[in-house]
Amino acid sequence: MRSKGFAKHYYLMLLPGFIWLFLFSIVPMFGIIIAFQNFNPGKGVFGSEFIGLETFQYMFQLSDTMNVFFNTIYIAVMKIIGNLIVPLVFALMLNEVRYMGLKRSIQTIVYLPHFLSWVILGGVLLDIFAFQGPINQLLEFFGVEPILFFGRADLFPFLVVGSDVWKEFGFNTIIYLAALTGINPALYEAAGIDGASRLRMLWHVTLPGIRTTAVLLAVLSLGNVLNAGFDQIFNLYNPLVYSTGDIIDTWVYRAGLLNLQYELATAVGLLKSVAGFILISLSYYLAYKFTNYRIF
Amino acid sequence: MMRSKSLSSKIADVVLIIILVSIAITCILPLWYTLSLSLSSKSAAAAGAVALWPVEFNFSSYQQLLQDGQFFKSFWISVQRVVFGAGLNFIIVPLMAYPLSKTVKDFKGRNVLMWTLIFTMLFNGGLIPLYLTVKGYGLMNSIWALVLVGGAQTIVFNIILTINFFRNLPKSLEEAALVDGAGPWYILFKVFIPLSIPVLATVSLFSIVYHWNEFLYGLIFMTREEFYPLQTYIQQLVVSVDPSTMTEDQYKRMSELSNRTLDAAKIFIAMIPVLVVYPFLQKYFIHGITLGSVKE
Amino acid sequence: MKKAVFRIFVMMLFILLIACSEEEPSSSEEENQNEEASPKTDEPADPFGKYEDPVTIAIGQEVDPSDTSLPEGDTPLDNQYTRHVKENLNIEVEHAFTASPSNYDQKVSLAIASNDLPDAMIVGPVELRQMYEADQLADLTNVYENYASPAIKRIIDSTDGIAKDTVTFDGKMMAIPNVQLQADGVHLLWIRQDWLDNLGLDVPKTVEEIEEVARAFVEQDPDGNGEDDTIGLAGPDTSSKLYANFLESTNNLYGFDGIFSAYQSYPGYWIENDEGEPVYGSILPETKEALAKLREMYADGLIDREMGVREDSGESVVSGKTGMFFGPWWMPYGPITDAVTEDPDANWQAYASPLDDNGEYSPHMSSPSNNFVVVRKGYEHPEAAMKMLNNLLDNESTFDPSLGGPGFYPLRLVFAPSDETEYSVKALREVLAGTKTPEDFEDKPEYKLLVSDAETIKDVKLEPYDDYNIEHWDMEADKGHWTRAYALMVGGSPLVDNEVKGQYSLLYSQTETMEDRWVNLKKLEDETFLKIIMGTEPLDTFDRFVEDWKKQGGDQITQEVAEVAEP
Repeated sequence: MRSKGFAKHYYLMLLPGFIWLFLFSIVPMFGIIIAFQNFNPGKGVFGSEFIGLETFQYMFQLSDTMNVFFNTIYIAVMKIIGNLIVPLVFALMLNEVRYMGLKRSIQTIVYLPHFLSWVILGGVLLDIFAFQGPINQLLEFFGVEPILFFGRADLFPFLVVGSDVWKEFGFNTIIYLAALTGINPALYEAAGIDGASRLRMLWHVTLPGIRTTAVLLAVLSLGNVLNAGFDQIFNLYNPLVYSTGDIIDTWVYRAGLLNLQYELATAVGLLKSVAGFILISLSYYLAYKFTNYRIF
Repeated sequence: MMRSKSLSSKIADVVLIIILVSIAITCILPLWYTLSLSLSSKSAAAAGAVALWPVEFNFSSYQQLLQDGQFFKSFWISVQRVVFGAGLNFIIVPLMAYPLSKTVKDFKGRNVLMWTLIFTMLFNGGLIPLYLTVKGYGLMNSIWALVLVGGAQTIVFNIILTINFFRNLPKSLEEAALVDGAGPWYILFKVFIPLSIPVLATVSLFSIVYHWNEFLYGLIFMTREEFYPLQTYIQQLVVSVDPSTMTEDQYKRMSELSNRTLDAAKIFIAMIPVLVVYPFLQKYFIHGITLGSVKE
Repeated sequence: MKKAVFRIFVMMLFILLIACSEEEPSSSEEENQNEEASPKTDEPADPFGKYEDPVTIAIGQEVDPSDTSLPEGDTPLDNQYTRHVKENLNIEVEHAFTASPSNYDQKVSLAIASNDLPDAMIVGPVELRQMYEADQLADLTNVYENYASPAIKRIIDSTDGIAKDTVTFDGKMMAIPNVQLQADGVHLLWIRQDWLDNLGLDVPKTVEEIEEVARAFVEQDPDGNGEDDTIGLAGPDTSSKLYANFLESTNNLYGFDGIFSAYQSYPGYWIENDEGEPVYGSILPETKEALAKLREMYADGLIDREMGVREDSGESVVSGKTGMFFGPWWMPYGPITDAVTEDPDANWQAYASPLDDNGEYSPHMSSPSNNFVVVRKGYEHPEAAMKMLNNLLDNESTFDPSLGGPGFYPLRLVFAPSDETEYSVKALREVLAGTKTPEDFEDKPEYKLLVSDAETIKDVKLEPYDDYNIEHWDMEADKGHWTRAYALMVGGSPLVDNEVKGQYSLLYSQTETMEDRWVNLKKLEDETFLKIIMGTEPLDTFDRFVEDWKKQGGDQITQEVAEVAEP
């Protein structure tokens, strides 16, 4: 192999990035110790007394912990599914549009929300779904009793998932559209000659053509099972919906920063990291096993 | 295209277009709503009377906005943050992705380093150790705290994406370069990077959107409003305050100062830059985001 | 893979070492400061003394980003007040951090947690305790003794030692407490008198009557606009609570405090049971009763359907949709002034209602102190903070708020005689009746606004002077004075005219176990009660809540409270 002596250059290329990550990701990890301490801010991380696993015991005793983990997974899994299927359906629909100008305009418009922050969208959504907001006015028009959308714990997860899918579907559509353009037009022509209907072409040509993309996306998103979207929920929730809407990240944020429960916040955060690491490893091996593809 | 144009197919087209257009409309709705709110009168906005059309149309909130020095200061900070953040991302990502796209056979340390990256992506010590670290580096109130901390947390994902793209570039290109006696730096800069503009544009776009929209670190690492990036500045305006420790005149001041139309004007202006940027990057990232496996 | 894991492990160790060595210098620095901090006793103590050499104090301050009252060229650090402090005391104020009101608490938490403290700042009772436990506070016992101005001492002493108790730990005074109005903790029933009159109803005196009135307000179109758009009783919004509690005992706007106390239920308060033992009010059967009633009212649509979700329940007061709500005497400073501006007939009146089974008005009462100035341990001039407080109390009335309002006065604590509202009402009545003149109150400087109130009351109050209905007021004459006078006469009168049999909490601060457990217990409580009222959980969830609460630390905390509360 001619590239034998390249390794030291490779290390050199990696050096700046690793210094950066070392300073800003790895160094701050000393804080993980807090989970095993009775943390006293006056004494700092290195002066506080160690109490072993006491915080973890309390954590598992708290009904909140299970609840928060459940909410996180529930919301995240629904988001993953929604973000896989909706863009796919949309891309397939868009692919059927034959006026190129219209197709491109729609495509450009629908991924606009992807670029807006939840700080901004949160406020707008709360207004639109308010008791006297446009959505309820519409419902009233159809004779439906107005609904207190963001006050209903039973609806909240769906609103979160729905709004997230709505925000991201346009952007995710791009991936599928690109896959669709990659399909050999000759396949459609052949099917056309055989007299296949549009639906049959969809089934026999289009879907198989993008199968790999879909599978890969699904596997990649497994790593997100514990990320239900801090920014979004932080800007949308209220105490009424804590029971179904509070996720690990929002809970840790409140516990650690607003409620001064540093040990508990760190412990829950650590648990999340460990679970996330296991899941990512799992998806890595799953992807390798089923698609013979290493995702990283 | 050899598709048949029967009547039913035409009806299907119309239905399809109606559906797609109405979905597209929902995506502009937040933008439109914010604009109408910002152009309405203060009292109409406070009473919640604004829906889809400005009530008592006027420009006074934009006139007021022009006098708000801090808004433009924050705007400028965000612009700088995006430029530095995306710039750094643009440099570091290919530098790290190239060696890591090699197989273990070509680059022995590759797997350990890759898993270290994954580790940094998933584990963290919590906000307080992060705060202490940044303070230790003397980066409080510095834009570099935002650039480096935020960047370190998002770069790994971008690297993974780029690795996938690199791996799927035709092997023959690199081999040809090797035969010509090219070194690793030459291959990276003259062979890989020119071919990778789509993926680099994509990860830059991710980076731009992230740095523009992120608000929490501004709050944590900046001790004064004058250093806030735009989203942090906006976030503090839209959160409501607990009155329990206020005196009557404090409460009065607070309610007198609340100004929803001005807030809406600020939010609207804050949306504009990303909206201006994305159509330009569009043609690149449509190709860049597709995972290499799709195209052969 | 094994090798990889090992390498990562080695790397982690290495990092730890680096991190350790990094921390070292800061801690030794601190020790040095501690030594310097020994109080200098050679100077004679002068509460208003000007330093010879400029002293700087770096503080954490709340600054409202939308407050534009500063004139051109002034900044939060350079304005009429800070210049006054510099000139009179030779103290230079600097900012360790500033934050908007909505983010101030987070910045304070961050400062405490990272031990990166300003020289002085304002904190609440929870943070105060946390800082004491972490040994971050300067002992202010001597500072208070030697430097507090007589006026401040007089006001703090007027609380019978309660204010001092809340900041005293192991016999040491660790902070300077504010003193706020007793009246801020009593949540009166505010009601649209004009709606009552339209429908021919009497002022409700009991919970049942409130229920009837609310039903009439919802169903009988009290505003006569032909639309079914009115709210009987407002509910809490996203920034307020179902009821005030022992840690935040004042100014709970649009809560249900009044309903609970009518059942002699004091959720969120520590009270004595029949055996004289401390119990937590939220777990008592009376609370369940009150919840049952609220649940019924909500189900019947008598309470705002959007309670708990609204950004600001005041909006529907302003727009004339709400008929009743609970709030402190000063609500005209809130939405009522705007409501009257929108609709001059909106006749908001306040009553000490509803009464309990014994026909008495028995609301819960607040702590006199909920804000504290703390000084960092090791700061060389802890008395500087005290001097600033002295200076502010003495001179605040000389500053023109239009040239930079109170939001720009660093370390501003409120020191008000706790009976200011009631005292002012009585005084103003005498002025209106002609038995006293404004000059008669010039010897009462603690009642800062009283002379000015007395001078201006007749500008805005029309005859007959003892009728406070809206048609006997002139808002146009001066909106600012109108707001204050209306708040005092309408909101303050019920406190003067009724016997208030108030219920105090046994304590207004945290105990040790609360530090770790309270937040989660409180969350459990808030969620359960909200769900019971809004009907998403059956009433009997209450019983499970009581059990859970006890198990998850409540019992232990009750014991601690018993120890603390025992004199």
